[in-house]
Amino acid sequence: MSRVLLVGAGAVGGRAARQLVETPGVEELLVVDARPKRAGDVAALMGDRATTVDWQPGTPIPEGVDVVACAVPAGDDVTIVRDALEAGVPCASATDDTTAIQSLLELDAVAAERGVPVVVGAGLAPGLSDVLVRHAADGLDTVDDVNVARWGAAGEASASTVRVALADRGAELRDGRVVALVRRGGEELIWFPNPVDARGCEPVSNGLELLLQTVPELARGTIRFARAEKPGWTFPRRADPVNEWGAIRVEVWGTRGPVREPVVYGAIERTEIATGTVLALTAVALAGALPGLVERRPGVHGLGRVVVPRAFLAELARRGVKVAVFEGVPVA
Amino acid sequence: MRAFRRGLIVVFVAAVAGAVVRLRGKGGVPPTSGGWRELEAPDFR
Repeated sequence: MSRVLLVGAGAVGGRAARQLVETPGVEELLVVDARPKRAGDVAALMGDRATTVDWQPGTPIPEGVDVVACAVPAGDDVTIVRDALEAGVPCASATDDTTAIQSLLELDAVAAERGVPVVVGAGLAPGLSDVLVRHAADGLDTVDDVNVARWGAAGEASASTVRVALADRGAELRDGRVVALVRRGGEELIWFPNPVDARGCEPVSNGLELLLQTVPELARGTIRFARAEKPGWTFPRRADPVNEWGAIRVEVWGTRGPVREPVVYGAIERTEIATGTVLALTAVALAGALPGLVERRPGVHGLGRVVVPRAFLAELARRGVKVAVFEGVPVA
Repeated sequence: MRAFRRGLIVVFVAAVAGAVVRLRGKGGVPPTSGGWRELEAPDFR
């Protein structure tokens, strides 16, 4: 039986808490938040197995914790992961911020040396998108081009990350390297599953390193985000489902035998729910409460590198996060 | 005054042209053929 420390009780943390307490192998959930009242509210909603604990990032991890799950604003998780490494406790982070991901990946050597597995980017994209890329790649002989797109943001912190990402020039993968784009822009219309449908998405750098871990030596790869902001004014019936529905589309090009073909997967769910579920599953898998979903390899990894895609997707589907495959001729 | 009138005419013509283009423009048809199928349990075995 596992004891989980959940740091962050916001939009994602709240949903992750629900998934964690509903996992049979989780004996106790400790909830921490910068706002203690919010942590208390979430713990109270989760029943007897959840409680709050007086803990601050930068201090020793509480005794008996088997895994740490981070659902905190960008950057805060670096300190928490350092604490987890110090205590030798596995950790999963839902961050989607480029700088935070890069900072966490720099801890790889320390994590490997201490024999601690850490998974970063355990959210919608990066996260579930990397699982789908890996699942598609497993069905192909070779992979040369991967295009990931995401619509939606899980809470205010995530919306802020999207704004920062889209204000940047963005980057793409070329011949196994992350290459910064010359200028911003390059919006493309991406067709997500219903009801999100078509959305303009721009290239970002968030999660490219994790995509490269998923498919090493990838010749070309892009990740695009849509603007998850409510417009200042719109006709009432044209209001966008901002911060409600989240969607990802993963297009993987490669060869199967002599034929070059695409595999297109998509997922649609409330953004916070999808992100919280992926984070919770990753955390309990690292704790050993749900074995067989994630390889518990020491070091700092993206989810795509260590996941067992079929088992992970099956467990996600059991929890209501469904994945779809596009059957036809994709154009965008 | 003449410049002001010309300006008004330019704005009017631009607005009419924009409206015509917007009304005649095609849209709403996905550039794809096919559809999404939910993956079921057998797909994960």
